[in-house]
Amino acid sequence: MVKINEYIESGVLEAYVLGSASEAEAKELLYLKAKHPQISEALRELETDLEHIAQQMAITPPPGAWTKIEANINELIKARESDALTIDMPYRDQPRESSRARRSGQFVEIEAESGHMRIRKIWRWIFAAVFVLGKIFLATAIYFYIENRHNEKEIETLRIELRNSRGH
Amino acid sequence: MLKTDRQVLIESKPESMRGLYDRYAGMLLGYIFEIVKDSKLAEDCLVRIFCELSAEFGAENAGGPQNWSQLQRFARGKLGPLPVVSAKVARGDLALRRSDDLYLAALSAEQKQVFLEIYYHGKTVAMLAAELNKTEEFIRKTLKEAFAILRKSGEN
Repeated sequence: MVKINEYIESGVLEAYVLGSASEAEAKELLYLKAKHPQISEALRELETDLEHIAQQMAITPPPGAWTKIEANINELIKARESDALTIDMPYRDQPRESSRARRSGQFVEIEAESGHMRIRKIWRWIFAAVFVLGKIFLATAIYFYIENRHNEKEIETLRIELRNSRGH
Repeated sequence: MLKTDRQVLIESKPESMRGLYDRYAGMLLGYIFEIVKDSKLAEDCLVRIFCELSAEFGAENAGGPQNWSQLQRFARGKLGPLPVVSAKVARGDLALRRSDDLYLAALSAEQKQVFLEIYYHGKTVAMLAAELNKTEEFIRKTLKEAFAILRKSGEN
């Protein structure tokens, strides 16, 4: 008991509360604190004393300070949420390389050398469909154009024949 | 088994960042101001420390500082490496403190120096003992005396 009192009186507790105790002193203190409630109580009192000291020199923060902190917290939350959305849960435990390989399986590289652009594979079928439809449309247009010209020529021929037959 | 500071923090009841701010922001601003001696810089540091707290422990402050002593140690750990703060400390701006600080008036010059160097500069007992050419026991005793006097003056 005397040794514990001596320990409390040594100033180690004050040094610990102010964060200036060495690592060995802090370890010893935490060990003794767990064993001796007097040390735990003395530490609590010192923390209260330190709080009173700090209260005496407190300065009211400017009104906008919390707003800035809150904005930062909100940004952090948003960033964490977007991180959570980016990472697909089923692949969470897989290494980065496999994630990259998985992503390259989902995308088609349409320009490999420089200025990369990645698009989803579904667009390959859409591009193909648009290409085929375009070809069909072009062929149809050419067919009707030729057909139209042919019909016009025939009409013209018929008109000439009709005029000639009237002349006779 | 011994518990580290972090384990002790984790086992504490979490207090939300807003609650921590409401309780300690004024005290923390006063503490920072005593170190940097610049209102604007002190406010910036206050915001920065709470932002770092949020980044480390989240808005719920789960596992973060739960009392002033823990918060002050966290803050000092973050303030120390800031170039603008370390430059001010290196210049010895703390030595220019007003001597008429009411709560420090009852301390002797030696007690005041030991308290200020440890509390604001974050010097360890061993560092200060070497600097002042005293024993570590002497520094600890002086610190204890300073605490006892400050406690009494706070009660009056």
